[in-house]
Amino acid sequence: MLDLSLMLAAFADVFTPTNIMFILGGVILGQIVGAIPGLSIIMALAIAVPLTYGMDTLAAIAFLISVNKGGTVGGAVPAILLNVPGSAESAATTMDGHPMAKNGKPLKAMKYALYHSVTGDLASDIVLILLAAPLAVVALNMGPVEITALMILAFTVISGLVGDSMIKGLISAAFGILVATVGLDPGMATPRFTFGVLELYDGVPLTAVSIGALAMSGVLVGLLSMRGSDQKTQSSAISMKGRTREQSVVTFAEYWANRFVAVRAFFIGTVIGAIPGLGSTTAGFLSYSVNKQAAKDPEAFGTGDPRGIAASETANSAVVGANLIPLLTLGIPGNIAAALLVSAFIIHGIQPGPLLFEQQAQLVYGMFGAMLVANFCNLGVGQIGMRFWAMVVSAPGTVIYPAAMLLCFAGSFVITGASFGVYVMIVSAIFGYMMRAFGYSIVAFIVAFLLTPQLEGAVVRARLITNDDPAALLSHPIALALIAMSIGSIIYLGPRKKKKPLDGDLQAPTGQ
Amino acid sequence: MKILPSLFISMATVGMTAATAFADTCPADYPGGNINFLVGFGAGGGTDTVARRVASDIEAATGWTIVVDNRPGASGGVMARGLLDSEADGLTVGVVSNTTVAINPHTNADIGYTHEDFAYLGTGMVLNYGLVALADAPYGNLEEFVDFAREQGRATISVGASSHTIAVTALAEHFDVDLVAVPGQGSAAALQEALGGHVDATIQGAAHVPQIEAGAMVQLATLTANRASYAPDTMTAMESGVDLSIEGHIIFIMNGDTPADVQSCLADAIEAVTSSESYIEFLAGQSAVPGNMGPEGTAAWVADASAFYGDRLAQ
Repeated sequence: MLDLSLMLAAFADVFTPTNIMFILGGVILGQIVGAIPGLSIIMALAIAVPLTYGMDTLAAIAFLISVNKGGTVGGAVPAILLNVPGSAESAATTMDGHPMAKNGKPLKAMKYALYHSVTGDLASDIVLILLAAPLAVVALNMGPVEITALMILAFTVISGLVGDSMIKGLISAAFGILVATVGLDPGMATPRFTFGVLELYDGVPLTAVSIGALAMSGVLVGLLSMRGSDQKTQSSAISMKGRTREQSVVTFAEYWANRFVAVRAFFIGTVIGAIPGLGSTTAGFLSYSVNKQAAKDPEAFGTGDPRGIAASETANSAVVGANLIPLLTLGIPGNIAAALLVSAFIIHGIQPGPLLFEQQAQLVYGMFGAMLVANFCNLGVGQIGMRFWAMVVSAPGTVIYPAAMLLCFAGSFVITGASFGVYVMIVSAIFGYMMRAFGYSIVAFIVAFLLTPQLEGAVVRARLITNDDPAALLSHPIALALIAMSIGSIIYLGPRKKKKPLDGDLQAPTGQ
Repeated sequence: MKILPSLFISMATVGMTAATAFADTCPADYPGGNINFLVGFGAGGGTDTVARRVASDIEAATGWTIVVDNRPGASGGVMARGLLDSEADGLTVGVVSNTTVAINPHTNADIGYTHEDFAYLGTGMVLNYGLVALADAPYGNLEEFVDFAREQGRATISVGASSHTIAVTALAEHFDVDLVAVPGQGSAAALQEALGGHVDATIQGAAHVPQIEAGAMVQLATLTANRASYAPDTMTAMESGVDLSIEGHIIFIMNGDTPADVQSCLADAIEAVTSSESYIEFLAGQSAVPGNMGPEGTAAWVADASAFYGDRLAQ
C-alpha cells in the first residue's frame, strides 16, 4: 500500500523554501491566534482559506494545517499563565497548568504542555499515515448505539472528578446536565428553557460557560483576595524572577515519567478524533479524568501535577491528526477545521472522497510530510515563544487580573459575535464563584455539560434506529462491551475511593 | 409593509431586463462606507464558504470593502431578526439558507419575522438534494427501497436539516410506508451513519457525489425538479409520482425597508459574480451550481417554499 518512491517524491515536494516558509508562518500565526482567548483558530482558518486561492495546492494545505497545529500549542499558554484557556480545548490544561505556574514554575508548566502537545500531535500523525484505512473502518462502526454506550462510559469518569463529597459532585454534574438541556431538543426540535430568547435555541455556548465558570470566577477570587492587601508588597500573580534551573527546565527523565499518562491520553485523543463530531475539548477532559482515576494518588491532580498537563495536552493534540482520518479515507470532515480543509481542497479543484488516495496520492503524502515538518516547527517556535509570553505575564496582579478579565470579555463576545456570549459568561462566572465558595466541583459541572448533548442526540438516534427494541442491542457487540466497561468503571474506580479535598478547581488562583 | 416587496420586485425586474438601466438605478454615492455580510451560520460551513467567496469577488470587481462576520444561532434566525433592526441603508446584508426564511417562521414561535420582512438580492448556490444508499444495499432505486421498507416494516433515513425530515414524511405518506427520519448534527454526520450501515439511506446535498463516483453509494431518487447531472439514470421523486421537490439555496437578504435603488447595487454585483466563470468553476468543484434566481425570482421562490413548508408542517 505504501509506495516508497512516491512518498519520497512527495516529501521532496515539501522541502522547498516556499513550503517551509508557509509552514513556519502558519505555525507562528496559529500559536499567536491560539494564545489570544478572543481569537479562535476556526475563524483564523475561515479567513485564511480564501487567501490561499493563489497559492500552490500543497503550500495552501500545508499552511492551513500548520495554523491548526500551532493553535493547539498556543491555547495552553494563557491556560497556564492566566488560568484563561486560549481555546475551549485547552480548558482542561488550566487545572494543573495554572497551579504549577503559581508554584513558581510557569516556564516548566509551559514546557510540559509544549512537549506533550507535540508528542500527541506527532504520534497521531504517524497513526494517520500508517493506520488511516483500518481506523476509518472502526470509526464507521461507531453508530448511534455505540456512541450512546461510549458516552455512558464517559459519564462514569465523572465520579473521579467529584472532589471530597460525592453528593456535592453529583449535584454539580446534575446541574451541568440541566444547563445542557437548554435549547432545541435533538429529536423534535422543541425549544426547552429558552424563555423566548432566540439566542438560546442552539443551547448555552460552551466556550462562554467554560470561560466564565473556570477563568472569570478565578479572576474574581483573585481580585477579592487582593482587597485590603498592601499595594507595595503585592507581587506578581506569577513570578518569573529568581527561578532556578529545576523550576524552568523539563528534563527527559521528567518527561519520560509521564509516559503511561501520555499513552492513555494519546489513545483517548486518537479514538475521539477518529469519530466525527466529538471534538478535542471532550478528549482533553476525558483524558484528564481517566488519568486522574488511574493514578495512585489522584489527590495530587489539580495541585500543579505535570501528569494533569500531559493528560490534557497530549489528548487534545492527538485529536488533530486523527480528525483527518474520516476526511482522507471517506471524505467526511470530522470537525470544523477539517471542513475548512475540504473547502481549501475544493478551491484547488480537488474533491476529498473515497478516491482521494488513488487520485491525489502524491499530494496526500506531501501533506503528511508537511504535517511532520509542522510538528517540529511547532516545537521550535513554542520554545522561543514561551519566553516572550512569560515576559508578558511577569506583571503584578493589578495588571494581570484586569488583562485576564478583558480577555474573558473579548473571548466570550467573539464566540457569538454579540453581547449574548458576554451575558452567559458573567452569569457562569457568578455561578462558578459560588460553586468554588461552597465546594462544588466546577469540572464535574463542565464535563457533564459538555457530554450531555452528545449523549442525548445519540440516545434519540439509537432509539429511532433500533425502534425502541432492547433486543437489538445484541447485534451491537461494541456497544455491549462499552456498557460492560462502564459498569466495571463504576465498581472499581468510582465511589470506593475516598478523595482528599484538594481538587484543583476549588482553589483560588492566589491561594498563597 | 406587504405591498412594498412587490414594488421592489417590479423595479428589480426593470433592472434585470435592461442591464444599463440597472446601473443607473444604483446611487452614485453607494456604498459610502464598509458593507457588512452577516452570515447566519458558523465559520467553515457551506453558507460561510459561499458568503466569503462572493464577498471577495465583489471586492475585486468593485473596489468596495466587505466585512464578513458570523452570527450563528437558530438556523440563521438570530442574525435574520437582528437584520430587521439594522439601518435600511443597504450596507448590511444577511447570508442565509432557505431554512432561515422559508421554514424557521413556521417552526419557531419566537422568531419574530416572516419571509415578507426581507428584501431578496439573489442566491449564491443551489443544492440538489438526493436520496442515497450504500451501493451494496439490496435496493437500487426508490421503488425497490419502498418495497424493502414494506418488507422490513420500516426503513431509516438519516437527515441533516429540517427540510429533509419534511421530505421523508412526504415520501412515507405518498407510498404509505413507515420511513423514519433520523435527525443528526448536519449532513456530514448523516452521511457517516449511512456509510457505516447504521441507517438504510440518507438525504444529501453535495457530499455524496464523490461517494457515487467512487461506486460506494447509489442515488435512489433525485429530490429536485430535474435529474442530477452526476446520476442521469436516477429518476426524480416527481417522475415517480411524488409531489415533492426540495432544493437548498444560499440566499442574500436585506432589511425589507431598504430603498429599491440601493438594493439594486448589491443585487447587480451578486449577479455579476454568480455568472462569472471562476465562480461557476469554484462551485463545480463542490458538485454544485450557482442557480442565481435574481431578486424577484428569489422572492417568488421563497414565497412558494414558505407556503409548501407551512402546509407540510401544519399537518
